[in-house]
Amino acid sequence: MSAVLKDAVGSHKQRDWSKHVVILFFIIIELFPFYMMMQVSFKDNASFIQNPWLPTAPFSVKESYQTADSIETVTKERAARWSEVLTGSVAKPAGDPAYLGGEMRFDLGVYKLTNWGFGLTLIGPYIANTVFVAVTGTVVSLFLSILGAYFFARYKMPLSGLLWGAFMLLMLLPGVANIVPLFTLLKELSLLNTLWALIIVGIAGGQVFNLFVLRNFIEDLPKDLFEAAEMDGASHFQQIINVVIPMSGPIIGTLAILSFLGKWNDFLLPLIVLRDKELFTLGVGLIYLDGEYVKQWGQIMAAYFIASLPLIVIFLFCMRLFVRGLSAGAIKG
Amino acid sequence: MASLLSRQKTLREWKLYFFIVPSLLLVAIFSYFPAASAIYHSFFDWQGGDNKQLVGLDNFKRAFGDTVLWDSFKTVSILIVFNLFKMIPSIAMAVMIHRLKSDASQYFYRVMLVVPMIVPSLVTLFIWKFFFDPNLGVLNNVLDFTGIKSLLVSLDGLFGWGIFFENVPIGWLSQPELILPSLFIWGFPWIGTVGVLIYLAGLQSIGQEVYEAAELDGVGPFQKFLYIELPLILTQVRLSLILLIIGTLQGYGLQLLLLGDAGGPGGRGMVPGLWMYNRAFIAGEFGYACAIGIILFVFILGLTYINNKYVRVDK
Repeated sequence: MSAVLKDAVGSHKQRDWSKHVVILFFIIIELFPFYMMMQVSFKDNASFIQNPWLPTAPFSVKESYQTADSIETVTKERAARWSEVLTGSVAKPAGDPAYLGGEMRFDLGVYKLTNWGFGLTLIGPYIANTVFVAVTGTVVSLFLSILGAYFFARYKMPLSGLLWGAFMLLMLLPGVANIVPLFTLLKELSLLNTLWALIIVGIAGGQVFNLFVLRNFIEDLPKDLFEAAEMDGASHFQQIINVVIPMSGPIIGTLAILSFLGKWNDFLLPLIVLRDKELFTLGVGLIYLDGEYVKQWGQIMAAYFIASLPLIVIFLFCMRLFVRGLSAGAIKG
Repeated sequence: MASLLSRQKTLREWKLYFFIVPSLLLVAIFSYFPAASAIYHSFFDWQGGDNKQLVGLDNFKRAFGDTVLWDSFKTVSILIVFNLFKMIPSIAMAVMIHRLKSDASQYFYRVMLVVPMIVPSLVTLFIWKFFFDPNLGVLNNVLDFTGIKSLLVSLDGLFGWGIFFENVPIGWLSQPELILPSLFIWGFPWIGTVGVLIYLAGLQSIGQEVYEAAELDGVGPFQKFLYIELPLILTQVRLSLILLIIGTLQGYGLQLLLLGDAGGPGGRGMVPGLWMYNRAFIAGEFGYACAIGIILFVFILGLTYINNKYVRVDK
């Protein structure tokens, strides 16, 4: 786009900075929970109450106090306040006669890495379960929808119109009325309290949207490719493997990300289906973490952060797909 | 489009049906069967086990007299109004980013908007719950720090609400009167990543010449929004409006986690979906829960019908 044309969008150049300020302001608020999660995860409750907003300074203060019988001295250690670090002197607690003095030293021990160890042992198994459910569910679900979409897109078979209608009708059906009978159905199939229940229901639930998007996409692929493959004696399955999947990489990637995110964030179905602690997925695990423990915010935040790590890794590798794919996929859906 | 086949070719390609069978079976078992079962069981007194008793329309009669259910519909209407209001920041954000001149910063902001998505939504929810904590929570700290708290206290004195007091931390999720305001504040500044990206994609289709013409006519920034940008993203706005209304109407995860299965203190956060969940899994009245589900379903179906009839979404 040329600079002249670009200038026509919005207003004059010198007024652009005000937009940047507003956008940045909102983005900073939007990222604030993320920031809090990160910095609180390195604190224990005491240093969190003392300094809730900023990350801890890498200094600790050793304060000595006289005991009531004036014979021994007791030392307490705490994280240094930022004001103390900047002025270089330890603040005296006001009106405490037992206070003898304090010294400050450089100390990386104020960062409570034990929070992370705790979080990992607590949440690690839940993450493993969730990865199993989300990956299996996403792969199988997409594979089945590609097969189904190929059926609808390649030829107009007898009954295909009716079948298509049956799938699309489900777009109108709200899932809310389903959850109670679904629970009893899973009980009859003795799938309650298994991860397979989550996987199978997830696969079934994803079919409609995936079929809808993929059918449109496969129909837009050039017909010549299929005909050429057919000439070479490729079966339908080979055509899917060699033509459809390579040609629809971006859309499959987008659908995979959306489906993975959906399963990663799901908590209602796991909450109803799972009973055993060993089977908990992230959703239920986090809910129990929220209710069960005396709130050590540092440990909880570390656990939250660990829960986000797999998504962060995916994000780092597929950022372009995330940003472009989400906007493109969103219009189609 | 898929090409029409001759009878002969169809017979030769019959194996293709195998491709659709797995999806069809899954959908039939896990979507259609539960839906049919919900309708069937809504006429029964059913505890979820093998014993059930046909009660005819009793469940529905009971639902029409159920004050909790009707209050929950009132609550959910208020939440829908809140959520409509919460659409504005996303639209404004998209328009602002679109009007930036440099492509690089447009892309940078889009990436920054996607970053919150990597935090699982449940974690976001719990972090917000932590923000609402009366003693340690961020919200009360911010209100204290900025002096808004004392303003609220003096307003309270003026109008006699009896909610805000000096030196008493505000119990956002424990005071019945504050449940709805808390649900309103929840998620500030209400910028939805997917929403902004959808709007941005819609805005991208605006031709440069439209802006040039507007510039020549001396159109102001707000009029530009009203006459150029809004009409072009109206399709997307309508679509997300419908999805939002339906989503709010049937959603109950937020209320369940934030307020518990009884809808919080005084049941102020009770929504129809949560009441259904409560009846089924807390009280064990599966038949009645199915009836509530059906009533909710009829509401949503009605909205979808109105949407298809009067609000055209042009693809």
